[in-house]
Amino acid sequence: MNRTVLIIGIIIVAAIVFVLFAGLGNDPQHIDSPLIGKPAPPFALKSVNTGETIDLASLRGKPVIVNFWATWCVPCYEEHPTLVANARQLPNVQFIGVVFNDTEDKINRFLAERGSAYPTLLDANGKTAIAYGVGGVPETYFINSAGTIVAKFEGPLSTEQLQENLAKALR
Amino acid sequence: MTATFGRFLILASVLVSTTGAFIAYAAGAKRSPEGLKWSQRFAYAFAGLMVLATGVMEYALITHDFSVQYVAHVGSTQVPLWVTIVSLWSSLEGSILFWGFILGIYIAGTTWFNRNEHQEYMPFAIGTWLSCGAFFSFLIAGPANPFLSVNPAPLEGPGPNPLLQNHLLMIIHPPMLYLGYVGMTIPFGFAAAALLRGRLGQSFLRPLRASLLLPWVFLTIAIMLGGWWAYEVLGWGGYWAWDPVENASLLPWLTATAALHSAIVMERRGVLKGWTVTLIQASFLLTILGTFMTRSGVFNSVHSFTQSSIGPTILVFLTVILLFSVILLALRIDSLESEGRIESAVSREGMFLVNNLFFVVFTFTVLVGTVFPLVVEAIKGKQMSVGRPYFDAMVVPVGTALLFLLGVGPALPWGKVSRKEMLRALLPPLITGAVALIIGYAFGVRNAWTLVTLLFGGYAMHVTFAQMWLPLRQRLKKGDSFAPALIDAQLRRGRRRFGGYVVHAGAVIVFVAIAVSSTMRTQEEVTLTRGQSTAFAGYTVTFLGTEERTEPHRQSTIARFNIARNGQPVTTMEPRMNQYAAMREPIGTPAVHSTIGRDYYLSIMNIQGDQVGLLIINMPMVGWIWGAVLLMGAGGLIALIPARRRTYVVVPESAPTIDDEAIA
Repeated sequence: MNRTVLIIGIIIVAAIVFVLFAGLGNDPQHIDSPLIGKPAPPFALKSVNTGETIDLASLRGKPVIVNFWATWCVPCYEEHPTLVANARQLPNVQFIGVVFNDTEDKINRFLAERGSAYPTLLDANGKTAIAYGVGGVPETYFINSAGTIVAKFEGPLSTEQLQENLAKALR
Repeated sequence: MTATFGRFLILASVLVSTTGAFIAYAAGAKRSPEGLKWSQRFAYAFAGLMVLATGVMEYALITHDFSVQYVAHVGSTQVPLWVTIVSLWSSLEGSILFWGFILGIYIAGTTWFNRNEHQEYMPFAIGTWLSCGAFFSFLIAGPANPFLSVNPAPLEGPGPNPLLQNHLLMIIHPPMLYLGYVGMTIPFGFAAAALLRGRLGQSFLRPLRASLLLPWVFLTIAIMLGGWWAYEVLGWGGYWAWDPVENASLLPWLTATAALHSAIVMERRGVLKGWTVTLIQASFLLTILGTFMTRSGVFNSVHSFTQSSIGPTILVFLTVILLFSVILLALRIDSLESEGRIESAVSREGMFLVNNLFFVVFTFTVLVGTVFPLVVEAIKGKQMSVGRPYFDAMVVPVGTALLFLLGVGPALPWGKVSRKEMLRALLPPLITGAVALIIGYAFGVRNAWTLVTLLFGGYAMHVTFAQMWLPLRQRLKKGDSFAPALIDAQLRRGRRRFGGYVVHAGAVIVFVAIAVSSTMRTQEEVTLTRGQSTAFAGYTVTFLGTEERTEPHRQSTIARFNIARNGQPVTTMEPRMNQYAAMREPIGTPAVHSTIGRDYYLSIMNIQGDQVGLLIINMPMVGWIWGAVLLMGAGGLIALIPARRRTYVVVPESAPTIDDEAIA
């Protein structure tokens, strides 16, 4: 029995196994947003629906759900009806869609076909998406009435997931 | 019905592999020839069941039998037949079954090739292989069962992962990788057998080396195909991103390459037995670690299968085989006694030692960089990632050192070397190195690392060619005529040696091509409106317009560009942007115009109306990488062809001679 080999070997095995076991159950796709608990980055963008400019700061006082999406994003098609239905049911919550890397006529066609219940803003140069650190679409930020980001969700939302995250903004 | 039959076959293979493993180990312990016969039969039976089960799955896929769960998950009547056939490995459960299929063939093939030989070791080897087979059968029978029934059966399925349908390389890359990964089980079994037996005789080196070389060839090609695929499909203009799963395929390749070299020293000098066995074990363990990385959902990667439940099961298996290997090694490493010793540091064998050291440093560097984010998260609960700068900073010096050894190692004679001999061996190749350096400088290379790579690369190429054709030259000097000398010296007797140097030649080209393509690339990001042109790196690129195309699995925007040189049209290039139903981000498919010297690469960054944001990359020598890796694979295959009869010629030790086969 070669003790040196055994001891070094066992140490290496223990280290590897510990690290891998600890890693189980983590979702590597998920990135904690450094913005959670921080004031939401301000933006003032032109609405595709009405042409007026909407300033995030003017919405202070009620919870805001900011949903980043695009017409070229297939999961966004899936998510859209959920958002519209919830926006209709929750008049005290301000829903906002922010579209980037897209064109106005495509967005209008999308909304005409699939309905709309809240302002959709065009982030023409993608600056707002960058400020929020959007990693892909759809991605949704939940902002409380004080203007602080309380939660971030990656991927298409279901009604349960939406309400679960919204609860954090209502607290 | 099909599902039930499939489940029956898998359960039978659990039973057969477990029983077979017990019988084989018992036969080894008792040295029973009858027991060996039985363990061979069990090995064949396991392979038969795996092949049959895979056949049943293919049958279910081709007949669109959606009552089988895997078919319901990945099948579709809308996709072409070839997609249906390859969707066997497009998703988790099927890929594990495919793993079992390849494992079965490897086990049966190796058992058959050695059916009358190495009786001392074979039972332990078969026992170890069947134990691995038992684990994978269990995985297929339980956590990753593709044969579950769906009731009522759906009428249509979603089809396989869209990325699989994107490029032809995607069909070849996974099987090649599995042939490499799964194949490492065989040398692992042989190494375990040597340890269990407590000795590693000279005659057993041949199957050990061959069983390592075959998966090495597959892994080499698979790694290259993966890089090529990334380059042709993903559109960021590179072929290697130090993605955890890319690293996972590189790690066993590094240790296997080190083992192939240390095995030569073992063969020539009778030393490094325990070390070689350790490297072989590590190669197998790293393939299982790699499998864990891809299948557990712990690492973020383009390759990740969706979150699955088999991560913990694979981790338990990994833990068990790690402990098995460590304990076995500790128990028996001292009995693999060293017969000889290494006399001089500045000699062929001395260089082999340094080579092994660098390969191990390389492996550790990549391993640490890959798992470090997990370590940080486990200890501090913080998320982080280790990126290119770390890997480039660490790997470039080690790689350069390996290229240096690739030249100096084979130039040095075996054994004790006199100063005069040393200088005579080492100085002449400097001329070729200097020529390569000057040519590079003339072409505008100014990066210090690349210039050093050219110097070492030219040096190594000189040595490689001199060594490659040495047997032929010696024959010609003796007065033999050219053709018979060529066939006998290079391809018949010196085949292993010749193959080894072909691999080296390929490796030198890979080193140089990587250095040149990564440091000499130039790129430009431009925004073009329809009809507008830009000139870059000798070509004029004109944006002609876009076209939308809807396919069942994706929507694409295709941008068309006219490429001209000195006013003469050269070609039309059509990079595209694809949006797949199942993915959050669009994936671009670049367009590549390849010529011998360089690639001209167009990738779309964004399209807004009549405007396109375009990334243009001019990359010299990148195509050489693919060709040179194929050359490495070919060299490995040449070395693998078994010698029809072994001839031993006694030769003076220090001179490189005809029978100096010893480059794997």
